[in-house]
Amino acid sequence: MISLSSIVKKMASYGLILSSLCLTISCASSKPPTEQVARTEAAINQANQVGAQDYAPLQLRNARKKLTQAKSLIQHKKYDEAKRMAERAKVDAELAEETSLSKKAQDAVKQLKESIKILKQEIQEKQQNQ
Amino acid sequence: MQFRKLAFLVILFSGLIVGCGGTPDKNPLLEEAKTNYQKAENDTLIVSKAPVALKEAEEELEKSEQLWSDGADKEMVSHHAYIAKQKVAIAKETAQLNAAQDEVKRAETQRQKVLIQARKAEAQAAEKRAKKALSEAQKERQRAQELAKQVNQLQAQQTQRGLVLTLGDVLFDFDKASLKPGGEQAVNKLAQFLKEYPKRNVMIEGYTDNIGSATYNKQLSRRRANSVQQALMDRGISSNRIQIRGYGEQYPVATNSSEAGRQRNRRVEVVISDKNGNIKERSS
Repeated sequence: MISLSSIVKKMASYGLILSSLCLTISCASSKPPTEQVARTEAAINQANQVGAQDYAPLQLRNARKKLTQAKSLIQHKKYDEAKRMAERAKVDAELAEETSLSKKAQDAVKQLKESIKILKQEIQEKQQNQ
Repeated sequence: MQFRKLAFLVILFSGLIVGCGGTPDKNPLLEEAKTNYQKAENDTLIVSKAPVALKEAEEELEKSEQLWSDGADKEMVSHHAYIAKQKVAIAKETAQLNAAQDEVKRAETQRQKVLIQARKAEAQAAEKRAKKALSEAQKERQRAQELAKQVNQLQAQQTQRGLVLTLGDVLFDFDKASLKPGGEQAVNKLAQFLKEYPKRNVMIEGYTDNIGSATYNKQLSRRRANSVQQALMDRGISSNRIQIRGYGEQYPVATNSSEAGRQRNRRVEVVISDKNGNIKERSS
């Protein structure tokens, strides 16, 4: 006679096997990388705000392209690949932002030096006119 | 049979040796990331100005290298190599950004200094201009004093129409328009004055007493004014600076009923213009 407890035990062990099987499968791609996509989008926005469109258009384009690819991978349920693609897009956007900031700062240096040069010339002209 | 077995074994082993000895395919992205990282690591600007970004690049590079030596999937190795490569580039930009910001601070300080210099130079220039203006005002005053002196020498009088110099009839013989030698001196002084004040013009007006017909007197007075004009032109004064009028017996300055009065009425008046060359026409 099969006792109730043994049935429960059997069921439990099947369940365990089943669930662990599920886990192994889902480990590869359990859920879409929504957070990573959001972080990448934020990075692209930030790059845009500091003028990456003008200062680092190629890097910004790379970032956007990869983000699009990541979204398409999500639709094909390739979540891990999508996550990595989004990570690469984020690093592209970060480079675009940093490049823009750097170029802007260098422009500022140039402008300042130019204005100093002009001022010095003006002083010289004034002193020569005296 | 024995030999065949041996040959087979030799072939098998040699195949194995070749397989082991041949280096596995390198990942080009990983190699690129490594090269870039090493360059950055030797760049003192990046090391000093972007140490955090450089560290992040290093960590990604290590991950990629670890995956590669574990024989992991190529895509995983490349993924981390790519991130490492981009982080190196970010480190470079960050370093340049920080360096530029330092430079902006320095340049701003320098600009302030130069601005102060510019203000000083401006103040000095203004002082110089003020001094120059002052000395010009002094010169102007001197010129005015000089003019007054000259006018005094001409014995001209200040009237409503301006400075008026009266040349008496002693310059001309009765009924003659030619200048007497005694008149030369007066004309010389006037010519001298006109040379020194090239912007001043003159109007020469002839007057007579009331003896003779009015028409004749008018003509005589005009001829006399004309001979003064001619004398001035002979002394180098341009004719367009000299206007002449013949008023005849009009505008007497004394009575015509006595010889003394008539003598005063026979005269030539020289009206000197203002400093812009303008002379008001006689109206009364």
